[in-house]
Amino acid sequence: MSIHKPAVSPLAIGRDIYQHRYLLKTMIWREINGRYRSSLLGVLWSFITPLLMLAIYTFVFTVVFQARWNIEAEHGQATFALVLFVGLIIHGLIAEVLGRSPGLMYEHGNYVKRVVFPLQVLPLVPCCSALFHFFISVGMLLLVILLLGHPVHATLLWLPVVIAPLMPMLAGLAWLLSALGVYVRDISHVSGLIVTVLLFVSPIFFPADALGETFQRFMYLNPLTVIIEQARGVLLWGQTPDALALIGYSVVSCSVAWLGYMVFQKARGGFADVL
Amino acid sequence: MCSDQVTSHTAPQTASKGNIAIRVNGVTKRYRLYPSTKARLKEWLWRPLKRRLGRPAPPYYRSFTALDEINFELPKGHTMGVIGRNGSGKSTLLQLICGTLEPSAGNIEVNGRIAALLELGAGFNPEFTGRENIYIYAAVMGLSREQASKRFDDIVAFADIGDFIEQPVKSYSSGMLVRLAFAVIAHVDADILIIDEALAVGDAFFVQKCMRFLRRFMQTGTVLFVSHDSAAVTNLCDRAIWLEQGKLRMQGSAKELTEHYLAARYATAEKAEESTMPEQQAPNRAPKLPNMPSKLDYYDPRQALINASPLRNELEIFAFDETQESFGQGGGSITQAILRDAQGRALRWVIGGEPVSLRVDGVAHRAMQGPIVGFLLKDRLGQTLFGDNTFLTCQDLTLKAGQAFVAEFNFVMPTLPRGQYSIALALAEGTQQDHVQHQWIHDALLIESHSSSESTGLVGIPMHHIALQGVDENADAGPIQK
Repeated sequence: MSIHKPAVSPLAIGRDIYQHRYLLKTMIWREINGRYRSSLLGVLWSFITPLLMLAIYTFVFTVVFQARWNIEAEHGQATFALVLFVGLIIHGLIAEVLGRSPGLMYEHGNYVKRVVFPLQVLPLVPCCSALFHFFISVGMLLLVILLLGHPVHATLLWLPVVIAPLMPMLAGLAWLLSALGVYVRDISHVSGLIVTVLLFVSPIFFPADALGETFQRFMYLNPLTVIIEQARGVLLWGQTPDALALIGYSVVSCSVAWLGYMVFQKARGGFADVL
Repeated sequence: MCSDQVTSHTAPQTASKGNIAIRVNGVTKRYRLYPSTKARLKEWLWRPLKRRLGRPAPPYYRSFTALDEINFELPKGHTMGVIGRNGSGKSTLLQLICGTLEPSAGNIEVNGRIAALLELGAGFNPEFTGRENIYIYAAVMGLSREQASKRFDDIVAFADIGDFIEQPVKSYSSGMLVRLAFAVIAHVDADILIIDEALAVGDAFFVQKCMRFLRRFMQTGTVLFVSHDSAAVTNLCDRAIWLEQGKLRMQGSAKELTEHYLAARYATAEKAEESTMPEQQAPNRAPKLPNMPSKLDYYDPRQALINASPLRNELEIFAFDETQESFGQGGGSITQAILRDAQGRALRWVIGGEPVSLRVDGVAHRAMQGPIVGFLLKDRLGQTLFGDNTFLTCQDLTLKAGQAFVAEFNFVMPTLPRGQYSIALALAEGTQQDHVQHQWIHDALLIESHSSSESTGLVGIPMHHIALQGVDENADAGPIQK
């Protein structure tokens, strides 16, 4: 074990995941299962929540605000809710990771201070459970698509390929924030703010091309833009994903993962001293 | 709690000899104490900048040395005690050995898998249930899912906390936490155990169970045992180290070291006492001159006085519990055990120094040739204080199947230092050298000693005669004056 001189190579990430797969599985299962443990409906909430969200957003953005989206004419009002929902569930993925990560080491203080615990796998737990909830939401989305009679496209099978590049990004952010969060508690406030900002600067409530050229370019600095647009393409419009965009995104995403991992491994030595 | 599998933290030149379990090499642990998070940020960002600009850059933290240049080795299979007062660096040292902290200087080499019981609920996630924590801990210790499942029942049986195993650990009482923690570390195949004795709380039955486990483990494994109680260290450990204000004050054999430790502690305690109570009242007890034991054989002249004073040794006895853990071939069983006073009344509590009678009832399930009934009185560490059996006195008894029997031991209950004791009972058949164990009940009777006039020793013995008197200068000088 190399706890005391933590490995930082990209290969070490894969080794960590493989070596601690049982632990990871137990923790993720516990995370998913534990969220609604003492509630009456239990895991059903994982299904109810996205459905309710979908209903509310449909209502608000089709009835309350008469939002402008170019697609309304051809596909009808309700499609707007689907468009919105795809954006929201992807935003939900990053929101959960950003929300949980800064406090993660505090949450597991016993594992930091009292056990030689493979801490580097902890930030992966919220990433994976968020992914789980994401796919449940996608299931709900498909259900609603069928109900509304919106065409179902075979391209939705591309969805895992579209989401995959986002995962290293999430893991990297989780490592980075959970490590920094130990030393600077303010991170959790900042990340909350970023989540809200991301909600409004991502193409969730409006299409990316609704903005002018200049703003659009900045918009692609947002890690969600590419993924949301591509996911909408495969889920709703029957487009095949843009390979170039995804490959480019993957490169950036993996670099973020590696950077986050390195920072985490360098910083972890001091966790026990600070907590 | 922690695990290290053949970890060499650093320094390749200290190639591990096969027989060293733990080697601590010049280890120093310094903490940086920041007055605020802002100071921490300044230290990281501002100070390097200032230094680069060539300006004076005093640190933004205060340095605190928790451990200073500690060196020691613990060979495999040995038990080492770590003693020292609160704040002497014991916990820090153990955390460093576990690997949860990193030394500021020096290195630590650990050969083998460590399991540690350091702080209450150590290594458990309070939100998770007992079951989840067991599986996670097992995974951390490198046990596979199958191995963990296999041991799960043993762990639950050892912890004996019933349905609470499915409840979040945060709802546990401290006793239950310790039970679960101990049960877990006892079942993860550790090579090295680190145990903080202060945590071996819980009821007497559980403590006895832990001590039985610990003594069995010590036969092959390596143990680091932390305690404030020097008697426990002498009893359990063969070596010891003594930490004082982060420095290694002494290391050596447990016996020698605890003697020095006690001497030093009493020295400081006396100093403190002198300053607080300059004048101590002389006890207004008239010196008793030679006084022959009268009607009782073992009459302690102080007994009447002690019994009337708060110094008397009250031993509370808990009723016989036949459900306690036992083993044996089951050819017979012990059904009842009572401690009675000289008048034959069953005692709920006894005052140390008085004659008592231990009566053991049982029944033979099959014919028995030469049954032996024995008892052992053990202290809280599971160390036998005294005991006896019926072998020499009643050798020739035979029992028919289904026949009941009664054994009786009359003795003077010694005064016992404050604490918990247990009496183990055994029924065997044969001779002392060669016998079949029919039943052995580990903790058949529990005794709790509440208050004691005994300050030293494992047990107090009634004194036949005690005298202290001044001697006239003119009188014939006794040996004391020379």
